[in-house]
Amino acid sequence: MNLVLPSLGFGIITASTLLPAAVGFTLQFSATGVLNIAFGAQMTFAAFIAYVCTQAGLSIWLALAAAAVCGALASALLNRFLLTPFARRGTTFFGMVVVTIALALLVEYAVELIWGPLPVSYPLTAPGLVHVGPMSFTHSQLVVLAIGVVFAIGTHALLRYTRAGKAIRAVADNRDLARSSGISAQRITDLAWLVSGLMGGAAGVMLGISLSSVSYTMGDTFLLEIVAAAVLGGVGQVYGAMLGALVIGVLLQESAIVLGGAYAPISAFAVLILVLLIRPTGILAGAAKAKGVS
Amino acid sequence: MDYYLLTVCIYVVVGIIACWGLNLQFGETGVLNFAAVLFVAVGAYTASLFSLGHPTPASYQQYFWGTSLPWPLPWLAAGVAGGALGLLVGLLVLRRLRGDYQAMVLLVVSTMGTYLVSADPGLLNGSIGLASIPAPFKSELHTGQVGYELFYLGLSVVTALIIFEVLRRINASPLGRVLRAVRENEQAAEAVGHNVAATKLMVMVVGGAVAALAGAIEVQFIGAWAPAGWTYPETFGLFAAVIVGGRGNLGGVAVGAFLVQGLFLEGTVLLPNFGNPDVIGAVQWMSLATLILLFLWFRPQGVIPERQRRFREGQPGPLRGLLPAQAFARVGRGQQNA
Repeated sequence: MNLVLPSLGFGIITASTLLPAAVGFTLQFSATGVLNIAFGAQMTFAAFIAYVCTQAGLSIWLALAAAAVCGALASALLNRFLLTPFARRGTTFFGMVVVTIALALLVEYAVELIWGPLPVSYPLTAPGLVHVGPMSFTHSQLVVLAIGVVFAIGTHALLRYTRAGKAIRAVADNRDLARSSGISAQRITDLAWLVSGLMGGAAGVMLGISLSSVSYTMGDTFLLEIVAAAVLGGVGQVYGAMLGALVIGVLLQESAIVLGGAYAPISAFAVLILVLLIRPTGILAGAAKAKGVS
Repeated sequence: MDYYLLTVCIYVVVGIIACWGLNLQFGETGVLNFAAVLFVAVGAYTASLFSLGHPTPASYQQYFWGTSLPWPLPWLAAGVAGGALGLLVGLLVLRRLRGDYQAMVLLVVSTMGTYLVSADPGLLNGSIGLASIPAPFKSELHTGQVGYELFYLGLSVVTALIIFEVLRRINASPLGRVLRAVRENEQAAEAVGHNVAATKLMVMVVGGAVAALAGAIEVQFIGAWAPAGWTYPETFGLFAAVIVGGRGNLGGVAVGAFLVQGLFLEGTVLLPNFGNPDVIGAVQWMSLATLILLFLWFRPQGVIPERQRRFREGQPGPLRGLLPAQAFARVGRGQQNA
């Protein structure tokens, strides 16, 4: 039991990785109404872009930035040239889900074809330990934590204080009303995909750093944890997704200590289902609606 | 070659049955069952446990319980288990959650199943999976391997025909109209008095039982079953078959299952061997994905689209002659009340 506090540190690191992913996933879903199953595959793609960058001699943090930008561009292009055309043809919600599933398979196995089935890893500098009470972090873990916090604050600032962020919220809340108030829904859709791709790309590299390996199935496996965090917070609720990421991240690591590693994902998912039985719309759905920050 | 072709045929029949189960949920009623492969898996494990016999400590594989029953019973038990799982999952997921939540939670439930079986080696032999599952009548029938495969193919085709007839009657009956009403417009169906949650629960149970039966047929043929065979991307293979074939049309779904399961997932093995097996797997999945995208773009209604149904006065209903007249009187009055 004396491992509970140290593993809280791991939980926070997992949550920092989960946070941009869950926020990007849920922000894009609320603004565009497309449930993007390919999100995990996009993360994997970005993680491998970062791997290529580190192989070319860039530092891991520059590689992370490059991968995030690539992720953002890829996401925006996919939306423009694949998803928007499908939506224009009148593909239903379920149809769009299936399109993103197909996209996930394409991206994932393209990554396997290009970079092979074996996992690779980033060259990380020597792990100097920093002790915070009973928890200890490596330097790269601390940077991952910092990036997670930056994404949380950045998302808050974007949605709260910028015109674009307010427009995203308006479109998410009521697309028709937003359009009749002069907001270009198409531009906001593009922006939402761009932002979610950026966050997903960064999260992919952060995941690669914290797992210390990058494989082509990585994002696909992580997608379930993202979905759990997003659903737990209330789908489409950005602040809910942040809270969900924290809860799922800590739960995963704590239950790994208490119940054993193999049971960790099961307990996290079981908590998700229990919460949904009590609050079918996620933890924050009601609170966020009341404050008008959905 | 005969041997291999027969094996593929049996896989295709299994795929068709599983896709019919999904079609009842997704194609007819619009329930996005992202846990479809979980039902196949539950059927397979149930049939294994009902045919393997008691686990012995000395055995090389561990499972929590087992018995050895003669042929139709493991399959029937699988169907019951699939229906029970459908009831459980349906009660958990369908009653209170919105459509998009339902889909995501079903995806999570499916993955939880894989993790659970892999995590506990004492439950169903963990990630190694169960093996040496006996095939029905194999010791009684003194035929060669090809002869036995022919027999098993016959057995699965007869089962498939029975399931086809049951599902066809459901689709053609007033109940089928309720399912399509729920699919087309949930609020409208609710407004005219149909219980949407109960309808969805019903298709989860019936579709789940059908999918589980497919799993039972498959496992008693291949004789082994492990978590790696039912990870959640497999669900998308089933969805692909339903979409390519034509959701809502049993014949179309069968064609889709043949194309996707047969040609894409099994048939690529017949191709000349190029490169390493990883490449073949990747190419297989990528071509499946491309096929789905092409179909959704050019022919979203599938190879054989759902038939437009028209009501003709005085036409005998599909159940007429099968049920006593009172049953019809009851159905008629029930609808008026509703």
